[in-house]
Amino acid sequence: MARLSLRGIKKRFKAVEVLHGIDLDVNDRELIVFVGPSGCGKSTLLRLIAGLDQITDGEFLLNDKRMNEVAPSRRGIAMVFQSYALYPHMNVYENMAFGARLMGLSKPEVEARIAEATRMLRLEALLERKPRELSGGQRQRVAIGRALVRKPQLLLLDEPLSNLDAALRSEVRLEIARLHREIGGTTIYVTHDQVEAMTLADRIVVMNGGRIEQFGSPRELYETPANTFVANFIGSPRMAMLGVEREGDRLIAPGIGAISLTRLPSAADREFLMGVRPDGMSISSDMQGEGFAAQVVYTEYLGDSAYVYVKMGEGAPVSIRCTPDTQYAPDMPVKIRVLPDKLHFFSSKTSQRLAV
Amino acid sequence: MISSQLTGRRLWIAALVVPPIAFMCLFLVYPILSAFAYAFYEWHGLARGDFIWFDNFHRVLFEFPFSERTINAFKHNIFVFFALMVLQNGLGFILAYCLWRELWGARFHRIAVFLPVVLSTVIVGLLWKLFYHPLFGAVNATLRAVGLGSLAQPWLGQDSTALTAIVVANAWHMVGFPTLVFLAGMQRIPSEILDAVRMETESEWVKMSKIVWPLVAPSATVVFTLLFVGAFNWFELPFIMGGVDGSPHGATDVLGLYFYRTAFGSTSASAENFGPGSALAVLIFLFIAVVSSVITIRLRKREIQL
Repeated sequence: MARLSLRGIKKRFKAVEVLHGIDLDVNDRELIVFVGPSGCGKSTLLRLIAGLDQITDGEFLLNDKRMNEVAPSRRGIAMVFQSYALYPHMNVYENMAFGARLMGLSKPEVEARIAEATRMLRLEALLERKPRELSGGQRQRVAIGRALVRKPQLLLLDEPLSNLDAALRSEVRLEIARLHREIGGTTIYVTHDQVEAMTLADRIVVMNGGRIEQFGSPRELYETPANTFVANFIGSPRMAMLGVEREGDRLIAPGIGAISLTRLPSAADREFLMGVRPDGMSISSDMQGEGFAAQVVYTEYLGDSAYVYVKMGEGAPVSIRCTPDTQYAPDMPVKIRVLPDKLHFFSSKTSQRLAV
Repeated sequence: MISSQLTGRRLWIAALVVPPIAFMCLFLVYPILSAFAYAFYEWHGLARGDFIWFDNFHRVLFEFPFSERTINAFKHNIFVFFALMVLQNGLGFILAYCLWRELWGARFHRIAVFLPVVLSTVIVGLLWKLFYHPLFGAVNATLRAVGLGSLAQPWLGQDSTALTAIVVANAWHMVGFPTLVFLAGMQRIPSEILDAVRMETESEWVKMSKIVWPLVAPSATVVFTLLFVGAFNWFELPFIMGGVDGSPHGATDVLGLYFYRTAFGSTSASAENFGPGSALAVLIFLFIAVVSSVITIRLRKREIQL
């Protein structure tokens, strides 16, 4: 059982404010991912929840109990660190037993918990080893085991995959998802990788510059990003963003073409931003009809699909997902057509999403 | 081309290595070896007599009056070693921990703790002799000022307190050194390990004894070994504060002083016994070499790579 509630959390390091008032409510048994570019405050927020740093202002409630002044070890929270932070002078068993013994558990209880964690994480063969005799993936599992032995209400994971090689990463990612289901507690996971966030999370907190940009399920974030930051951050390759002008039921992108749409943003702005993901566009060499003029830059061939990068006007190259069998040579002029129901509109003044 | 480069490189290495090795041989290896040789001869003043095998060793270890003084001095060295281990290294560890946790005033104290280390031993010795002065020394004056005048005593003038008093002065002088070494060891501990402990306990004692202490084992090896060598070579401070005779009544006599008196004579007894003196020097050297190697090897085993 762990319901988490952050109310107006602020953090200042001397004169610098790094979190500007975070409000967040997390339900029991949720797997929440904090995601954002480096320096956005996601790790700081995690450290505040853990109690490793003091909250400057605001309130942190765990199951409706104020936690601001509670020592980290008494919050019922366990944390897996980016570097794993295993105790180098203890073997795997001792690493797991250390915290459990400090909780004042009886000897059989400590042993039972270690046995359970050992089984779940397949550590049987490693119990006698010292951390330096383990591979990165094994250390990771021990670090998780050490956290699980304490049976925390809330499990915090700080960029747990960043020190693993690419092959191990997806494997451990699955493992973490499985463990979360098996343990049934609340988990908060910090990463800068939006793919990790999308694949793992029940709900994602997208952070930027010490603020929450959006909080929602992966589907919500992908399909209805709240602003241009989330639109750009979630989804790979990133969403194309075009400045457009409204003229009746037509949208004109200066210099590259115009399209007619039946559904346009209800807001009164004449100029705004139109965003469209790689799968919301089609490309063809047939230059007739409506669409945007573009020039092929290069093609990324991925086997089951291909991404064609094109230049539309002055902006950065835009990527379009298409079937792998069509081929487009660099510098070739092409026509880009958009799927009307896959369009996103944002205010060019506030960057916020405009409702259709 | 390659071979000429190689010779050039070798020449450089030789030019850099030979002078210090020659220096060491001349001023370190040769004196040690000659002391070894001297210890096996009979001496008349500084004139060498017959080769007498282990007689000199037998005299300093088993014959009156040498043996009694050797054992007395050796016991004092052992006391000094353990007392300094607690006062100097123990306090050094605690000071380092406080500095590392950045308690209030850590920046000031980091310098203050190390400052006495740079003072010359002669200055420290004379300074503390004044502090301990029975009539107008700072120690007794302080005791009287806080109403503990009954505890005021001639610290350096009585058997029961003299050696301890010098040990305290030594600890004050050198405590900055183990502090610095321990502090350096603590600063090597990754901060995430500390965070991990904080997630599991709030007890400062558990953090210090179960995590920090084992992880600064390399620092402990260094300061333990150096303290051992220092305690059994102890000379300057007792020489300045207790005199070459280890006053009062040999209460501050240690092996270093006793060796010096035996080999080169003293103000009270001008007799020079160069043979037994050399034998003492050899014994001290062997004792320190053997025991400190054992200490180092055993302590190395408990070190952990971070």
